[in-house]
Amino acid sequence: MPVPANLERLYDEHAQALFAFALNLLRHEADTRDILQELFVKVARNPRLLEGVQDPRGFLLRLAHNLAIDLMRRRTARDRNEQWAAENASLFAPADDPDEKVFAGTLAEALGELPPEQRAVVHLKLWERLSFEQIAAVLDISPNTAASRYRYAIDKLRARLRPIYDEIQ
Amino acid sequence: MNSGFEKRLQELPMREIPGQWKAQIVAVAQPQPAWWREWLWPCPRAWAGLAAAWLVILGMNLAAGKNPSRPGTATLAFSRQELLELRQQQQMLAKLISPGEAAETEPPRQVPAPRSERRITVIAI
Repeated sequence: MPVPANLERLYDEHAQALFAFALNLLRHEADTRDILQELFVKVARNPRLLEGVQDPRGFLLRLAHNLAIDLMRRRTARDRNEQWAAENASLFAPADDPDEKVFAGTLAEALGELPPEQRAVVHLKLWERLSFEQIAAVLDISPNTAASRYRYAIDKLRARLRPIYDEIQ
Repeated sequence: MNSGFEKRLQELPMREIPGQWKAQIVAVAQPQPAWWREWLWPCPRAWAGLAAAWLVILGMNLAAGKNPSRPGTATLAFSRQELLELRQQQQMLAKLISPGEAAETEPPRQVPAPRSERRITVIAI
């Protein structure tokens, strides 16, 4: 049976964004792969899932978020600690510049210290460039909650990264 | 709205999705064929030929059933006759083995007398 052409197109258009979002939430490459797999299986087996959806990216991000939250709930605290120790998958591309490398590494660590709900908002705002209304729709929260979570998270990141950031500047 | 700090964060390049994932994910995500198609998949023509052969055999069998020689009836008649003979043989055997018992068990048969020897009783009132 031929692969539906729109599935490949969907993958090409959205997989990178979904990968970065899920990796930021889960901090584990194998889990991220599982989430993407599950997501595309779901979409392929329910072709009508995307019918009438005006913002496919937002819809897929929401699906990825829900799957990631489910996976995190299934994992016990011990599993999470072991996983973190075993692999803290880097979210950012490897950099040649040593300052850039340190900055990216510290940012990845600081993001990992944020609660997942704040991390999700920061990711969608900074790297998906969504508005608070769009973030609210993806995460099923109010725009005000999205905005406040973002402010808290950015303050924490700024405090954590200030020494390095000032030094680089 | 974005501060310099936020812009700085946005500029960091994100890691690329591993290239080999696409083939693996899309292969697994593609819809599974129906069970019957999965069964027939290796050689559908061979299965179709086999099915056609069975249909021909079934058709021939049905056509033969329309003009039966009814061998069952003859067998049934023969077997009844045989059964009767067997029963007679058994009775004879029983008489030969124990004639006394046979006489006791079997009630005396009333053989009808010839009409000329019948006695006519007339009762005059």
